Amino acid sequence: MAVAPAAIFLLLLVYLGVTAPNLLELSTLSLILQQSIPTAIVCMGLASVVMAGGDDVVSGGIDLSIPATAVLAAAIIADQLVNHGSGLAVALMLGMGAALLMGVLNAVLVVTIGMTPLLATLASSVAAVGITKVVTSSRRINVDHPLIVFLRDAQFHGISVAVLLTAMLALIFYVALHRTRWGMHLQAVGGSRDAAEVSGISPKRLMAHSFLIAAVAGALASVFLLARGSGSTPGSEENLLLEMVLATFLGAAFSPRRVVTLWGAVLGAVLVSLLSVGFKSIGVDVFWTGCIKGALILLVVASAAYSNKQRR
Amino acid sequence: MTYNSTIQPRSGQKHRPAKRLIRSACVAMISAAAFVVPVVNAADLTLEGKKIGVAVVGTQHFWDREAFNGALDMVKELGGEPVPVDGGRDNQVHADNHDILLSNKVDAVISILGDGAVEPKFEALKNAGIPVFTVDHLSPHGVNNTTSDNYYMGTTIGRYMADAMGGKGKVAVFNAFEGALRICGIRTGLWKYVLQDYPDIEIIQPELAEEFANAPEDARKKTLDLLNQYPPGELDAIHVGCWDQPAIGIVQALEEAGRTDVLVTALDGGPDTLEIMAEENSPFVANVAQQPRLIGQTAAMNAARHFAGESLLPQTFVDVKPVNGPDGAKAVYEELGYGTL
Repeated sequence: MAVAPAAIFLLLLVYLGVTAPNLLELSTLSLILQQSIPTAIVCMGLASVVMAGGDDVVSGGIDLSIPATAVLAAAIIADQLVNHGSGLAVALMLGMGAALLMGVLNAVLVVTIGMTPLLATLASSVAAVGITKVVTSSRRINVDHPLIVFLRDAQFHGISVAVLLTAMLALIFYVALHRTRWGMHLQAVGGSRDAAEVSGISPKRLMAHSFLIAAVAGALASVFLLARGSGSTPGSEENLLLEMVLATFLGAAFSPRRVVTLWGAVLGAVLVSLLSVGFKSIGVDVFWTGCIKGALILLVVASAAYSNKQRR
Repeated sequence: MTYNSTIQPRSGQKHRPAKRLIRSACVAMISAAAFVVPVVNAADLTLEGKKIGVAVVGTQHFWDREAFNGALDMVKELGGEPVPVDGGRDNQVHADNHDILLSNKVDAVISILGDGAVEPKFEALKNAGIPVFTVDHLSPHGVNNTTSDNYYMGTTIGRYMADAMGGKGKVAVFNAFEGALRICGIRTGLWKYVLQDYPDIEIIQPELAEEFANAPEDARKKTLDLLNQYPPGELDAIHVGCWDQPAIGIVQALEEAGRTDVLVTALDGGPDTLEIMAEENSPFVANVAQQPRLIGQTAAMNAARHFAGESLLPQTFVDVKPVNGPDGAKAVYEELGYGTL
């Protein structure tokens, strides 16, 4: 059961590789990486929360609000740049500040008040979507700020600068989560809250940290969202949420111990993007793609729940 | 007269070969004299051996689906191989789909609707030597844009609404896309232009903004809120600036609240909304119907004309049908081949 998602996914990849011959060309692979960027960044945030909160799908760590937070920050930045004539620094400060506030809200709801992360972040996600609509009046805002255009188009030796920046970001997240004392503590809390507490680590503090890190990921993703869409588009959080959950838990299915890891989540994001591009290349209807992604989410989450049960 | 008037739906029309030939020849001569460009007879157009990407923002709504299918069918009829991609009513997905067409190395792209997010994608296609033919999206990177006569749509719906209101009263407008899509800027802008001559008609501020996906349900909720805010006698009409899917929800809300005295006007006129307009005492009183299937077909034919070496005008306009009142709705429903009401 635990290897089922990975096996099915590999089969899908082989099938796509055979039926969509251009999928493995360099230009398509670079397209796949580029389209995976916002998902990969929000996945880094979700991976931190799952690592700190434990990977029990119901009671463990989860943050469903990261995509909505990213879209909110993007909307505020776009609104400031275009409608209020703010400079880039002010716009970024306000947008990313709002994202961080969402992180604080999640931390308070979960750690201080003791709500289930699933419900708390679902609620904050709905709130973020609502604020986005107020800020943008549900309207699209075109952004052509040089920095946003640079992030969209710039290349370094033939490789997209945005892809390189995302790779660097993943490296920073990796070092922080997997190679520092603080990261080890965070993972210890996720592994066993009681054991961590006994050894003098404060689970509450680290869980609060993880929600803040998720918000930082959302804030960073917002800039790449603006670049990808040449502006802010209300409603773009839905697809991002679906891909984030699928990618993060799919990544776990590929990791040696079947747990959520940083690299697993990033790999998951790339694979999900590959799947989307592959299905479209062979002409699969967009609604079927949605069905298949939904079924895959069920499969990876069910498999994670099952292997959790086995472990106990 | 330009060659544009030779564009006809290939299927479902009566064939009068001799007359058609003479007319085509005349048009060809006139166009050739006027523009000094080769004009290819519609019957000689071909997309044989060409892979044509057809990107549409969504297929949930009649308009989008018809334009999409019209383009796909015409590409096939002209011997080309269509590569369809559907954005699922998500403008970002729609824009990203153009990257996939680029990596699939299609020979041309027909792109239906889309907001500013598609512009850099069009530019990339153009730079790769792939011509882009847009539908309802005027772009500096496209070869040609096929669209309805949006100017006529905007002014006509303005006049019809003003007449239905008796030249006075308060109107609320759903206007999410005036700034985002040029076609909506034209339609809503000209509606407002007409209203300048009706000083007794007041547009309620702030304007409302409908959602792009799930528009009918979203508009239903927003209309119920609006009705609470403006009790009977304080609201006379609701207009949708650029399309008519929200009007379905607006009419629903008016019926739920028992406020069918409030008039509704909108644009697009697919069978779903014409049916609502044709109902007895329907509050939905005026519309301008488009021919989305013909628009999609025309875009595909324009691609073939381009490959035949013809130089296209920046825009091809397809006729629209004004719809005034329930009888008008019934007549247009029949005229556009949707059946009988």
